[in-house]
Formats: sequence, C-alpha cells, structure tokens
Amino acid sequence: METTMNDCQKKIGYIVAGNLKDCLRVRLVVPTQEVQEGSFVVIRCNAWQFYGLITNLELGATDPRFADEQVGERFQPALSDLLQGQTLFTNLEVLPTLMLEIGPEPGSQAYKTWFENRNSASAQPIPVKTIPSHHAEVLLAGAGDVAEIFGEESKKGFFRIGSTREQGHPVCVDLAKLIQRSSGIFGATGTGKSFLARIILSGLIKAKLASLLIFDMHNEYGLDDQASDTHLSVPGLKGKFPTDVRIVGLGRSGTIRGQVADFNLEFGESDIQPEDIELLTRELNLKETTPATLDALVASFGRNGWFSTFKAMKPGNMIEDENGKRIPAPDSVEGWALENNVNTLAAASLHSKMNRLFHLTYLVDQPAANGLNEIIKSLEGGQNIVLSFGEHENDLDYLLVTNMLTRRIREKWVDLTNAHRSHPEKATEPRPLVIVLEEAHKLLNHEMAAQTTFNTIAREMRKYGVTLLVIDQRPSQIYDEVMSQLGTRICGWLGDDDDVHSVLAGLAGRDDLRGMLARLQPKEEVILLGWGVPMPLVIRSRRYDDIFWKELLGKTGSKADESRIMKELGFGL
Amino acid sequence: MTQIPIEVGRLMRASLTGFVAGCRINQPNLPAFGTLVRVPINNRLEAFGLVYNIHVDDDGLVRQLVTNQTLPPEVIADNRDNRNMPVEISIITIGRRESGVFSHLLPGIPPTSLDIIYQCLPLEICEFTSAGRFGYFRHILRNEELPTGELLASHLDQARRAHGACGDPEWYTRAIKELIIRLRDDYPGLMNVMNALSDLPTE
Repeated sequence: METTMNDCQKKIGYIVAGNLKDCLRVRLVVPTQEVQEGSFVVIRCNAWQFYGLITNLELGATDPRFADEQVGERFQPALSDLLQGQTLFTNLEVLPTLMLEIGPEPGSQAYKTWFENRNSASAQPIPVKTIPSHHAEVLLAGAGDVAEIFGEESKKGFFRIGSTREQGHPVCVDLAKLIQRSSGIFGATGTGKSFLARIILSGLIKAKLASLLIFDMHNEYGLDDQASDTHLSVPGLKGKFPTDVRIVGLGRSGTIRGQVADFNLEFGESDIQPEDIELLTRELNLKETTPATLDALVASFGRNGWFSTFKAMKPGNMIEDENGKRIPAPDSVEGWALENNVNTLAAASLHSKMNRLFHLTYLVDQPAANGLNEIIKSLEGGQNIVLSFGEHENDLDYLLVTNMLTRRIREKWVDLTNAHRSHPEKATEPRPLVIVLEEAHKLLNHEMAAQTTFNTIAREMRKYGVTLLVIDQRPSQIYDEVMSQLGTRICGWLGDDDDVHSVLAGLAGRDDLRGMLARLQPKEEVILLGWGVPMPLVIRSRRYDDIFWKELLGKTGSKADESRIMKELGFGL
Repeated sequence: MTQIPIEVGRLMRASLTGFVAGCRINQPNLPAFGTLVRVPINNRLEAFGLVYNIHVDDDGLVRQLVTNQTLPPEVIADNRDNRNMPVEISIITIGRRESGVFSHLLPGIPPTSLDIIYQCLPLEICEFTSAGRFGYFRHILRNEELPTGELLASHLDQARRAHGACGDPEWYTRAIKELIIRLRDDYPGLMNVMNALSDLPTE
C-alpha cells in the first residue's frame, strides 16, 4: 500500500467533493475494511495540512446497475475484479476540524524563507477555515500527526489517555487544559467509566496540577476494589499514591470495608442550612409547605440553631391547660407551629420526614474533630481527598454530604482567591481544585441544579480555580446549562438517544458524531470531545492494569502489594 | 532477422477517419477482423487502422450459380480465382506514425488510391498501442456503426499476444482498465465490451 516516508502515514484516498459547513468527500483507494469510522485522517494540500475525522462510509457506483449485478458470476475473475475496481467505489465523509500551515516543500529556498518568517501563532493548528482542493491526498494520521495535535507524553502536563484505534498511536490529554473547565466522563452502565476515571485521576495526581476531592459514593476509588465482571483486584488510589491521597471516612467510626480511614468527617448540626433540606425534597418526599416551615424555623432559632432545636422537639407532645383541655406542649412541634403561625400539620410532617436526618451518625451536635478543616488543609497543601461513604451508601447521604461539603469548600476557595487578588504579595493563589462527582444526574438534574452548589461551580467557579469532573451514565438528566459548561467530554458507548444528544449539545459537527457514539465498542472505546481536546477523536483507552502503573510510576507494586506477596509466600506470618 | 512486411491489399477509397482496401478473394494474407494495419501516405506519414469489416459483394454470375443444385468444384474454383469483384476490407483509422513518431491523432491527409496496405508486425503493434495512453480507443468508441465489443476483444487479444512476446504482459490489464474508465458512465456499452472480452480464452 502507498505510504509516505513520514511517520508511516498511509494514503487512503483523495478529495472528490465537499464543503466547509458539512463535510469533505473522499474517494477511497484502499479496501473498505481497512478504514473505520472515527479514524483520524490528514489531508495535504499545497502549503496546508488539514486534520479531520471519518464520520461516514458510503458505497457507490458509477451506475446503479453495476452495484445490482454480481459480475463475478458473469465474467472471468480478473475481468470482474478490474470492473468492480473502477465502477464500484467507497466514499468517505470526513469532518474537517483543524488546519496547519506546513509551508512550501521542505529543502527549497521558499521553505527556508517561510520558516524564518513564520510566527508562533501560525505554528499551531487552527480551526478549519477553508477546505482542500480536489484530489488532495488523504492519509491516515501517523504518530507524528497525532502528537502534533494532541501533544506528546514526554511534555509536562500531557497524559496519555489511550491510543488511536487503527494503528495504536498514543493520544494525550493536556491535563492543565482539562482542569481549566469542568469536564465529564459519560457512558452507559458497564462501559468502564470508573476505570477510565481511575486512569485520569491517577494522571492528575501524578502531575500535581490540582488537588482532587473525590466523592467516592461506592467506595471504588480510594482503596483496592474488585471488578464486578472479572472479579479481579483493582488497585485503589491510596495504595498507589500513599502520601498524596488521604482517605476520609464518613462518621466518627467510619470504616471502609473493614479498613480504617486516615481521618473521619462529621458535620455539626449547626452546619445544616435550610437549602440543604430543600435539596432533599424528592428524597424525603417533602411538601410544598417545606420552605415556609424552614423559614419560620430559621426566623425562630437562627441559621445555626434551628436544626438541633427542631430535632429536639417532641412531636405530638400534649399537656393540659388550666381548664383541663389538652393542648400541644411548648416543646412540641405543634406547640412551636401554633406559636409561630405555621401550619401544624406541615410542621409535624416535616419533622417526621426529617427523622432520617436526625438519626444520621455523621451529623452530630459537636463533631469530635474538625474534619472539614482537615480536608481543606489537605487540599490546599496539594494532597488529594477521597471521601468514602462507607456504609452510608444511599442517595440521601450522597446528596446531603456532597452538597454541604462542597458549599464550604467553595466558600473557602472564593475567600482565598479574593484575598490573592486583593493582595497578591501576601496571599498566594489557591491551588486548583477538581471536585469529582459520580452519579452527577442526582445532583445536577434540572429540578435540583438551581439549588446545589455544583451548578454554581460548573457555571462560575473556574474563575476561582474550582471545577467539576462529573461521571455519569445519564447525561440527559443533567441540567442543560451545566452540560454546556463542560469543557472536555470523554464518552463511552451510550444507547439512549437523549443521552447522546445531551453529550453532543453545543458541539460543532454533532450530527456526524452522533452515529459514532452509538457504534463505539461497549468497553475501552471512547470518544474525546469538547473544548479541552483539539478535535474529536475515537480512541482505545488505556487499561487500568499493571502495565499502566509501571508506565506511570515506574513500578507495579506498592508497599501494600509487597507485604501481601510476602505473606502469601509465608514470610512475616 | 528483418521481417518482411505482409501486404494485405490496395486502397480503394478513403477518408480521414477510415479507408477501404481491396484484394482478391483467394488472397492468402487476408487479414482477420481486428487486425492492426498500416498504409504509407507519403515518405513521412503512415496511417494506422483496425480492420472492422470484410465484405464480399455478389455479382450477376454468382447470383445465378447459387441457384444450381450442384456446383462442380472447378466452377467454384474458377469463380474464386478469376472473379473481378474484390474482397473489400473496411478499416477505421486510429492513429499515425509521422517521421517515426507514433500518435493516436488522425493523419492530416487520407491515403491515396491503390496505396498498399500492410499488416502490422508484432513489434509495430506493441509500439503503436504503447504510445500515449490508449488514445486510439476514442476513435473506436465514438463510432456507433462499429461492432465495438467484438472489435475491441479481437484487437486486444491480438495485441495481448504481441505484448507478451515483447515482454509487457501487463499491457492487457492496463488496456482493460482504460476501457472501463472510459465507459464507466455507459453501462450498456461497457457491458457489451466486457461480455465480448469474457469470451476470449484466458491465458
């Protein structure tokens, strides 16, 4: 097959038609099966090189009758091969995305002049603004082309996330750019989102460009886990980064699968705000009278005391007045409601539904230690926090804890940033922070998005160095405004049309990418999209295995693994 | 060893796009359908053409003889040996050689009456058909009065053998590719040619 000398690029066709708004059409000169949808291609035309993605393959014939007739049965094999080669063809549709000025023929005087006069801006690929000419050569991208666009692993801040599907050329993500805006990892259940998240989180921890706050709802990330399908051991982040990662357990005696956390987190009852309760409307099945009742409680007892006071009230408690009539006791819910012109039934109902909160073991009158400060100090100091929910695995815990903690952290980061901006000589810029959120649709759906801190973070907090990394299987359930703020989207297979539409919302060429998403392999194939990547690309993601760790850290084992191996060999019993 | 040119007849009538040669009925070198022939026009210019028809006219005597129930062999022989009606060989002009250079353009002037027509030798076939990029196909393909499929099949078969002897067996494949490219928008025309080619014996 025709190749060029540079980077083993392979010629696959030539331009026959197209336009800038839709796509370019390429006549294929190699067998159809050698090219796949999603392949990264390079088009050379004079002094420019164009980069694009194959979005469609279409069979054609110079006359439909050539396609209808099976000439192999009528003519000699040599004749039918020749006939089919000229009258039957395959056209590709290529979505052009970037262009780069490569100048005249290298080695010529014109090239030397051009090279000396070019500026740094023209040395970078730019969004495509024109199209190549007819018959421009189309080639599969070589390793050099991929590195030109996506960066090289050897450069600081670039992390290899996977490789191109056809030829296995490494594809990198610019981590510094990734954390500048909120981003998302999406895919249907079982497509490997958690593994991909582990890979990216490992890269971020290693690069030390930001601190991570990981809400580990299902205790998957911090400690070693077991894959649900293969039952193989999956290393946790703590084991691989023992000094960079701290595991936080929820509740005073919070353990995670029998293992003790680095420290524990409790919330004081004074920390709970009315908006935290409103966030749980669906979870607690609260009524529309709830906001009014909460307002009255705050008015009566203050923002810091309303919760503990309301908790202490005795519902249904009655006393006899001087006439012997039974009336609500002053320390009862009903008594307070009557006194404050609040509907007694509404107040009693709210108290009843809030019993689930009153019994939470991590919500205490006086926390034993200031876990929240410890978390903030660790994050500011460049460490990464994995908040494992342990036995508190239901939605109520997740919604409440993530919102409360993030609200406090957001406030802190705003203060730090404002302090730095006011007096940069006295206050250093706060460390960038990425908040990792699984099941994001529970917190960021249309109904709740306006009430949660996460919506604010997604929309505004990149100015303060705080961004989200959402991991979710139902992106269609995430509020549109939040989705539109996601810079980088890494997406595995999605089956639901609404989910596909949601992931592609706001992106150029989304119609072309739609089918590509639905045809990804269920595991290990993902598409990189959005602002954070130079162009959309289908890749085979790295595997989260010993090879990955060896490449990332230079060794496969951690101290924990070594001690286990020694034990298995019979030493140190 | 220098090959002796094979005379196949003399020119009877001509135009720029074709000519008709005549010869005796019993001539031993009667050219086959699809044969490449040449006719010198002057000392610098020759026209090249393909035989596309061979025609024998009747006359009054033959018309009477065929009605006889039996025909003695000597009568048949006499009619063939001594007949004054020529075999007419129709030839389509497909190129020229001018000052030794082959071209698939038509010669600027037609040949003249009684010019001798020669059958091309294998080397001449190779040289003529290799010149340029099969431009002579256009003369054949645009003439709707020709039996295009059979003519091309016959010509390509002969040319294939010549190129095989000259050391270029791939010529045949290139020629078929070129035909397909030229006819790929003409399904009936291309199928006509392909059907004829498929009847050729494989080598």
